[in-house]
Amino acid sequence: MCAHCFLQCLAGPFSKMAQDSVGFSSDYQFWMQKLSVWDQASTLETQQDTCLHLPRFQEFLRQVYEVLKEMDSNTIIERFPTIGQLLAKTCWNPFILAFDESQKILIWCLCCLINKEPQNSEESKLNSWTRGLLSHILSAFRFDTKEVGLFTQGLGFAPADYCPGLLKNMVLSLVSELRENHLNGFNTQRRMVPEKIRFLSRVCIPLVTLPDIEPLVEALLIYHGHEPQEVLWPEFFDAVNEAFLLKKISLPISAVVCLWLRHLPSLEKATLHLFDKLISSQRNFLRRIECFLKDSLLPEAACHPAIFRIVDEMFRYALLETDGAPEVLAAIQVFTRCFVEALEKKNKQLKFTFKTYFPYASPSLVMMLLQHPKEIPQELWHQPLKHISEMLREMVEDQTHGSYGGPFECWFLFVHFGGWADIAAEQLVMSEAEPPEALLWLLAFSYSPRDRSLQRAQTMTEVKAVLGHLKKLFRSPTLSAKDLQAAAAESQARDPRPPLCQKLIRRLILNFLLWAPGGHVIAREVITLMAPTDELTHEMTGLLDQTLYRWDHLCMEAPKSRKLARELLEELCLAGTAC
Amino acid sequence: MESLLQHLERFSELLAVSRTTHVSPWDPATVRRALQWARYLRHVHSRFGRHVRIRTALERRLQKRWRQEGTSGSFPVPGLTNFQALGRCDLLLSLRLLENRALGDAAYHYLLQQLFPGPGVPDADEETLQGSLVRLARRRSAVHMLRFTGYGENSVLEDSVLKTQAELLLQRLREVPKAEGEGPSRFLSALWDRLPQNNFLKVIAAALLLPPSSPRPQGEELELGTPKTPGQGGQELVRWLLAKSDVMAAFCHNLPVGLLTSVAGRHPELSRAYLGLLTDWGRHLRYDLEKGTWVGAESQHASWEELYGRFQSLCQAPPPLKDEVLTALESCKAQDGDFQVPGLSIWTDLLLALGRGS
Repeated sequence: MCAHCFLQCLAGPFSKMAQDSVGFSSDYQFWMQKLSVWDQASTLETQQDTCLHLPRFQEFLRQVYEVLKEMDSNTIIERFPTIGQLLAKTCWNPFILAFDESQKILIWCLCCLINKEPQNSEESKLNSWTRGLLSHILSAFRFDTKEVGLFTQGLGFAPADYCPGLLKNMVLSLVSELRENHLNGFNTQRRMVPEKIRFLSRVCIPLVTLPDIEPLVEALLIYHGHEPQEVLWPEFFDAVNEAFLLKKISLPISAVVCLWLRHLPSLEKATLHLFDKLISSQRNFLRRIECFLKDSLLPEAACHPAIFRIVDEMFRYALLETDGAPEVLAAIQVFTRCFVEALEKKNKQLKFTFKTYFPYASPSLVMMLLQHPKEIPQELWHQPLKHISEMLREMVEDQTHGSYGGPFECWFLFVHFGGWADIAAEQLVMSEAEPPEALLWLLAFSYSPRDRSLQRAQTMTEVKAVLGHLKKLFRSPTLSAKDLQAAAAESQARDPRPPLCQKLIRRLILNFLLWAPGGHVIAREVITLMAPTDELTHEMTGLLDQTLYRWDHLCMEAPKSRKLARELLEELCLAGTAC
Repeated sequence: MESLLQHLERFSELLAVSRTTHVSPWDPATVRRALQWARYLRHVHSRFGRHVRIRTALERRLQKRWRQEGTSGSFPVPGLTNFQALGRCDLLLSLRLLENRALGDAAYHYLLQQLFPGPGVPDADEETLQGSLVRLARRRSAVHMLRFTGYGENSVLEDSVLKTQAELLLQRLREVPKAEGEGPSRFLSALWDRLPQNNFLKVIAAALLLPPSSPRPQGEELELGTPKTPGQGGQELVRWLLAKSDVMAAFCHNLPVGLLTSVAGRHPELSRAYLGLLTDWGRHLRYDLEKGTWVGAESQHASWEELYGRFQSLCQAPPPLKDEVLTALESCKAQDGDFQVPGLSIWTDLLLALGRGS
């Protein structure tokens, strides 16, 4: 299936529950009941239940506001005689008040109840009552002891003045207590009981998007006590992850890693969220993919092998389900690049060998693949390419040992470092010499991993033939589109080329256009011939983007080719719906 | 400039009135004007924040006003005390009006419309009044929720409340007009006379133990309640404590022993005064042969247990303080005659009890 359909399938179980559109009045009854049960959310069960329903309740409040704002105070009371109860119960549930925008919407609803010219005592009473509730939400703050109130008043401060400071101090105090417990374990004077920590995590659920609470959230994530099982509330992890993905909270990488390590569903959701962005219907240029990836913190978090393995597993699944969709391939490649970059930055504290990240791969192959082409002079690139090809070939064609996972695993590993295939394709076109068998094999393998030896050999022969023609044309001063067409033409005698082989040849032709001295003259004409359909244009755009991206990262000086590539990319994007 | 200052004066009066029943005749138009004035001053704050001359002039006017209120006998309950407060003057005004039951229904209704326009209103500046009020409500419920993490022992809340009060105190101390050097002392004495004293003592101790924060650059906005340089305010407190012997006595008598030791450890001048007080207490005790213990001649004198407890705590403090205390005790013992036998000199007995007698 295509990448997009794959995503839709995955999104199923994770999507928000569909809103029951049974009608406003039955919703009203439902929530009224819930609120009565929750009361002031003072027990574990009521707190749990409230937290589970917070987002839905907020949506309901919004609906209530939409209804109320159209009416005046008296009409509201007529239509909804119990509205006062509903709003009051909401006010008295601290979890609801603390959540996201609920307090704001509640205030709006209460404002609708205020009558600007009460005609009788009933209406006045209602006004007075509503004002009391508004006061409760906005300003009333009573300390347990009178003395403190007198002190602050005596200094001329209102609760509005010191509330932020008080909150900051409370958070600081809790954070330092957590840190102390974390570091000193049994030696602390004030040992935090697990119930207290669990309670804190519960209390943080509605508050997760309040910036003042960030230090506490971070401390909770990093804290691990000495109990064998997880002490934090699972909904806490969900809430934090959700907020993080929507960028409503900013956490340091260390806290995010803790989050994902402790709560697998969060990691999975984060990866899916990333997939959603990367594999959307709109083409994403590799630069943009890189931004999304770095932004998501997943590559950096993947320096922890457990996280890497899980993300990699999800990539593998995606690849299998979409039958090797180019978007997924591109995503894997960029992800691996970012991951390696992050790993190198931490090189001084490198704790894990590469085997932990790629347990099923041959270590020498991995080391080979991890080499930076930038660090090798361009003339010598064929050497590592040859080694890689030979190693892969040995593993793939060796049916007896299954130790390295078979062709798919080899291919999946290779695909992480897909840059090598691109280099091979370029080298084949650029070099004057006879195309080395190893490179031909490597390319054939990378495009069509499932081929049997015979098919692959056939592909290699075809490609070799085309390359032969191309080399003759490379320095030709009178290069024409027809010449190229002839070079790439299939022989009538043999079977038609399989599609993946055609794809490979298109690629080589594109490389030819970029590198041959006379290529820029006929480039557009050839491309029109080669890519008449939207799908093929899409493919061309992808190749051009990939090539430019790679040249940037290798710091390759090739001004003419670059210019041509950039121009072609622009034109294709403007022309087609490919971008 | 002059019109700006006048504006400031009038707004300060307005702010003071907004708390009283004088708002009952207000109609929506009055509320609108009041909010406009507040918005104007807030605009002044954002425009002239870096403009030192204007800023200083405004602050001076505010301080003058505060001083006037102070000398008139009534205790100052300032609304606007410094330039920074101008940045929140609309918030202050709105909250006062919202809480004021004397405000008529029509005016209140109009106020709500202005403060909470509802969704989808484009923000002129990023920080709308609605946003600030809502954020305050959310923070308030956060405090409420975190409060109950004590599970019985509410030490987290208690400490935080004390720390916050301490920060507020230091903030006010910074703002007190220092034209006459007397300012801070007079202010503190006034507080001592008016406020619950037990709590005040605890707050002073907390203020003296606040960590010294690094000096922040000029003009940076801070939330109310976070002192810029608590060290400065701390000095004022110490000076005042040393000058007022009755307060100092109450301080040393009422506060928990461990707390006193910490304070003494941080402030050498206070440790000296503390020791002086303790030696004084010691001299008032007489040995009761029948009971076999040291007792005070009068009921208000400290008991042996209290004295011993304090010295014990002091001797467990880190070096400079501990050594100071032991030296003082040794010298007192020497002055008394350097007795080795218990029952003759309280200092000998103390040292023996502390395990340092030789």
